[in-house]
Amino acid sequence: MEASAIKARLTAPLGERSGRARAADPAFKWLLTGLAALILVLIAFFFFFLAGKAEPAFSKFGVLGFIFDNDWNVSKSIYGALPLLVGTLITSVLALVIGVPVAVATALFVTEMCPARFKSPLTVLIELLAAVPSVVYGLWGIFVLVPFLKEPSQWFADTFDFLPFVGGTVAGPNYFIAGLILAIMILPIVSAISREVMATVPTDHKEAALALGATRWEMIKTAVLPYSRRGITGAAMLGLGRAIGETIAVVLVIGNSPTIGKQIFDQGYSLAAVIANEFGEAANDPLHSSALIAAGLVLFVLTLVVNALARWVVTRAEKKNGKAFTGSTITAQTPIATVVSES
Amino acid sequence: MHRNNLLAIGAAALVSVGFVACGSDDKSSDGGSSTTSGASTPATLNGAGSTFAAPLYSEWGSKLKEQDITVNYQPVGSGAGIAQLAQGTVDFAGSDPALTPEDVKTLTKGTPVQIPIAFGAITASYNVDGVEAGLKLDGATLADIFLGTVKKWNDPAIAKLNDGVTLPDTAITVVHRSDSSGTTKGFTQFLAAYSPTWNDGPGVDKDIKWPVGTGAKGNDGVAAAVKQTDGAIGYVEQAYALQNNFTFADVKNKSGAFVAPTLESTTAAGAGIDVPKDLGISVIDSPNPEAYPIASQTFAISYDDLCKAGMSKANAAGYVAFLDYALGEGQNVAKELSYAPLPDDVKTPAQAAVDALTCNGAPAKG
Amino acid sequence: MSTTAILPTISKRRRRADMLARGTLGFFTAIALVPLGLIIYYLLSKGLGAWSWDFFTTDPTGSFLGTQGGIKSAILGTLEMVALATIIAVPIGIGVAIYLVEFGQTSRFAAIVRYFVDVMTGVPSIVFGLFIYTTLVVAGTGGSSFAGWKGSLALALLMLPVITRSGEVVLQLVPQSLREAALALGTPRWVVTMKVVVRTAIPGLVTGSLLAVARAMGETAPLLFTVAVVNGTTFNLNERMNSLPIQIFQDVGQANDQLVERAWGAALTLVVLILILTLVARLISRRSQFS
Repeated sequence: MEASAIKARLTAPLGERSGRARAADPAFKWLLTGLAALILVLIAFFFFFLAGKAEPAFSKFGVLGFIFDNDWNVSKSIYGALPLLVGTLITSVLALVIGVPVAVATALFVTEMCPARFKSPLTVLIELLAAVPSVVYGLWGIFVLVPFLKEPSQWFADTFDFLPFVGGTVAGPNYFIAGLILAIMILPIVSAISREVMATVPTDHKEAALALGATRWEMIKTAVLPYSRRGITGAAMLGLGRAIGETIAVVLVIGNSPTIGKQIFDQGYSLAAVIANEFGEAANDPLHSSALIAAGLVLFVLTLVVNALARWVVTRAEKKNGKAFTGSTITAQTPIATVVSES
Repeated sequence: MHRNNLLAIGAAALVSVGFVACGSDDKSSDGGSSTTSGASTPATLNGAGSTFAAPLYSEWGSKLKEQDITVNYQPVGSGAGIAQLAQGTVDFAGSDPALTPEDVKTLTKGTPVQIPIAFGAITASYNVDGVEAGLKLDGATLADIFLGTVKKWNDPAIAKLNDGVTLPDTAITVVHRSDSSGTTKGFTQFLAAYSPTWNDGPGVDKDIKWPVGTGAKGNDGVAAAVKQTDGAIGYVEQAYALQNNFTFADVKNKSGAFVAPTLESTTAAGAGIDVPKDLGISVIDSPNPEAYPIASQTFAISYDDLCKAGMSKANAAGYVAFLDYALGEGQNVAKELSYAPLPDDVKTPAQAAVDALTCNGAPAKG
Repeated sequence: MSTTAILPTISKRRRRADMLARGTLGFFTAIALVPLGLIIYYLLSKGLGAWSWDFFTTDPTGSFLGTQGGIKSAILGTLEMVALATIIAVPIGIGVAIYLVEFGQTSRFAAIVRYFVDVMTGVPSIVFGLFIYTTLVVAGTGGSSFAGWKGSLALALLMLPVITRSGEVVLQLVPQSLREAALALGTPRWVVTMKVVVRTAIPGLVTGSLLAVARAMGETAPLLFTVAVVNGTTFNLNERMNSLPIQIFQDVGQANDQLVERAWGAALTLVVLILILTLVARLISRRSQFS
C-alpha cells in the first residue's frame, strides 16, 4: 500500500484520539458494571422479598413443618406442602426414568452411529421438541395422550400390579402422564448436553478400541460411556431442574388432587401447579398467599440446588475429559480380553 | 442470496400480519357509532368471579353492547372474584354464596352490596356408557361417591335407589373443582346436610380438601373432564350440562321426591324463601316439594358508593344500567339459558338496593 | 507376531450383542421422534381447521352461546408484550455479556455475576411471575393492577440470562487479535468494544436474542399473575392484555368444542410464530463465521 493510503487509514475515524473520547472509557465501564450489578441486586432483592412474604407461613407451621406436613387444606387454613413436594418429585423422577435413557440413546446414535448426512437433520428434529411451548404440550397431553394411553395404562396396571406403585384404576390425568410429558420436554436438553459431552471424548480412545477389534457397541461401552458418565449425570440433573419447575403442562395433566397418590396412575399435585391454581383466590387471604409464596420459595431453592449440582458435575466431567488424553488407561498393549467381555 | 430472500420473506410476512390485524380494528368491542339507548356515555365494567354465572354475564354482556356498555367478565371462581374485588382490580364480583362476615371484613372500600341476579341448578352430571339420564341419587349416596367409599357404578347403594336399571361395573371417576368455587360451596352444603361423615370431614367451603378425584378449573373445566372420561361424575351448572348434552341425575329433595333439574324445579327452589336485609339468600335444599335440591343463587357484588370505591362516574352509571337490565329484560334472557328468574319477593328488594347505589353521595343512575 | 494370533475374530455372541445394542439405540432414537411427529400431526389436523380469515381478525367474544370469535387480541397482545420485553432485556443482557467478557475476565465480582446469571437460567418461569406479582401487581404500581408492561417485565427477567449467556459465548469467540489491533491503533476502549467486538459478534448476538424471544413467546406462567385475561384488543400496555399462551390455557379446559378447536388453532399459530423465529435465528447464525 502507498504511504499516503496507510496514513489515511491510521487517521481515519476509527475513533478520535482526543482526550474527550477517552474520557468516555471509564463512563462506559461503569455503565456496564452497573448493569451487571443490577442483576445481582435484582436476584438478591427478589429472594429476600419473597422470603419476607413467605415468613408468616413459615413461622406458623415451622419451616420443616410447612415442607413436610402432609395436609394441604385451604378451607381449614392448614398448609403442609408434602403432597405438593412429593408430587413434584414423583413426576420429575418419572421424567428422568423415561427421558434420560431415550435422550442418551439419541445422543449416542447421533454421535457414534449416524451417517454424517443425517446428523444435522436429526439434531434439528430433536431440538424442535424444545420449540414447543409448555401450554401446547398440555393441550396435546389432555386431548391426545390421556385418551390414547388410558386403556394401555389400565392393562399395565392390571397386569403388573404386583410391582410397587402400580395398580388401581386409571382415571384420566395422573402422575404417569405428567411424568411422560415432562420426559418429552426434557429430552432436547439432556440430549444436547450429552452430545456435547460425548463430543469431548478423545478420538484416540475410540480409535484405539476400534483398532483393537472392538465392535462399535463395545467401543461405545468402553471408550465413550465411561468418560461421558459424569457429563450425562450432569445433563440429567439439568433436565431434572427443568422438570421440577415446569408448571403449565403439569397443571393440565396431573389431576390437581392435594393428596399423595399410592400409585403412579393416581392423581396428584405439584408445587408449581398449586401456585398456578390457587393464587387468584389467595390474593386477599394473607396466610394463604404467604403459603403459596412459601411453596414458590421451596420450588426456587430446589431448582437452585439441583442446577448448581448439575453444573458442578458437568464442568468437572469436561475438565476430566480434557486431562484424559494424557492419562489414558487403554494402550495398545492391553490384551483384548480386558477390553471386551467374552464368555 | 437464497437465505437473504428467506429472511426478507419472513420479516415481510410478520409485518403484513401486523398491518392486517391492526387494520381491521373497527370491529373492536367498544366505541363505534352504535345506536344508544339507556346509558348515553360508553362504560366499561370489569368483573370477575363465579363460573356458575359466567354464561349469564357473557350473554347479558353481548346484549348490553348495544347500550354502549362493555362488560369484561373473567370467570375465575367465586373466591378469586371476591379477592379481586377486595384488591380493587375489578369493579364487581360474581359470587354464588352470600358474603360471609370474613368476606365483608376484606371488602374495605365501602359497604359491600350484594344483588341476587338469578338462580341456577347444580347438576350431578355423569358420563357412563349404558346409563341413561335421570339416574336417581340422594344426598347420602352422592356424599359417599365423593368421599370415595362408593367406588363403582353398580355399587348396591346406587342400585338400591334405581330399581330395574342395569348398572355397569365401571369405576367411578370423581371430578371436582381445583379452584375456589361458589358452586363447590353450594354442592358441599347439600352433601353436608345429608351426610354427617361429609360434614365432619371435608366440610362446607369454596375450596375444600377433596378426598378423591381429579380437580379441574371452573365449571367449564369440570364439564370438560366429565366429557372426556368414561365413568366420570361431576357437579356442573346446568347451562354447561345442557350445552354439552350431559346426562344428569334426579336428586332426592328434602320432601323425599326425586327431582330433575329443570327451569320449573329451579324456580320452585326459589319460591317462598327468607329474604334477609342484606339480601343474602340461600336456596340450597329447599323444603318445597317440587324444588330441585341443589339449586343455587348467584350475586353481583360491589359497594354502596361506587365512585368512592374507585369507579368513574360513567362506569358507575353503566353498572346501575347493567343491574337494571339484569333484573329486568335480563331475567327473560336468563330463562333461555335455564337459569330461573327471581321471584317478586326477591326482585323488589333487589331493585330497591340497585336504586340506592350512589356515586359520591348522589344517585349513581346516569 | 502375527496379528491374527493377537486379534481373535469377532464371535457370534459379540456380533449379536453389537447388533442388539445398535438396534436398541436406533429404536430409542425413533421413539424420541414419535412425540414430535404426533404433536405436529395433531397440531396440523386439528389446528388448521380452525384457521380462517375471521380467526385472525376477530377478538374472542367470550359469549357462552353463539360464535366464539377468533384470536386477534391474543396475537396482538403477545406481539406487543414480547416486543416490550425484548426492548428491555436485549440491551441489558448484551450489556452484561459485554461486561463479563471485556472487563470481567479476572475479577471476583464478575465471577459472582456470572454465577448469578447461571442461577437465573434455572429459575422456573412461575417464580418470575410470582416476583412481579408480589412486588408490582399487588402494590398497583403505575396506577393499574394487572398490566401488559408488568407481564413484559416478567418475560424480560426470563430472557435476560439466556441473552447474557449466549452473548458471552459469542463475544468470547471474537479473536483477541482484533481487539489488540484496534487498541494498538490508539482507539479508546469503548469504541473498540462497541465498534469492533460487538459489531463482529452481531450475528451471534442476534441469534441468541431471537432464541430468547422465541422462548418468551411461548411462556404462560409469568403472564398468569401479571396480565390477567381480557377479550378485547388493546394497545395500552398499562391495561390488561390478552396473549396467545393465556388464550390457549383458557380454552384448553373447556367443554365447548368450538373453544377447543380455537385452542388448537391458537396453538398452531403460536408454534408457527416460534418456528419462524427459530428458523431466522439459525439462518443468521449460519451466516456468521463464528457459529
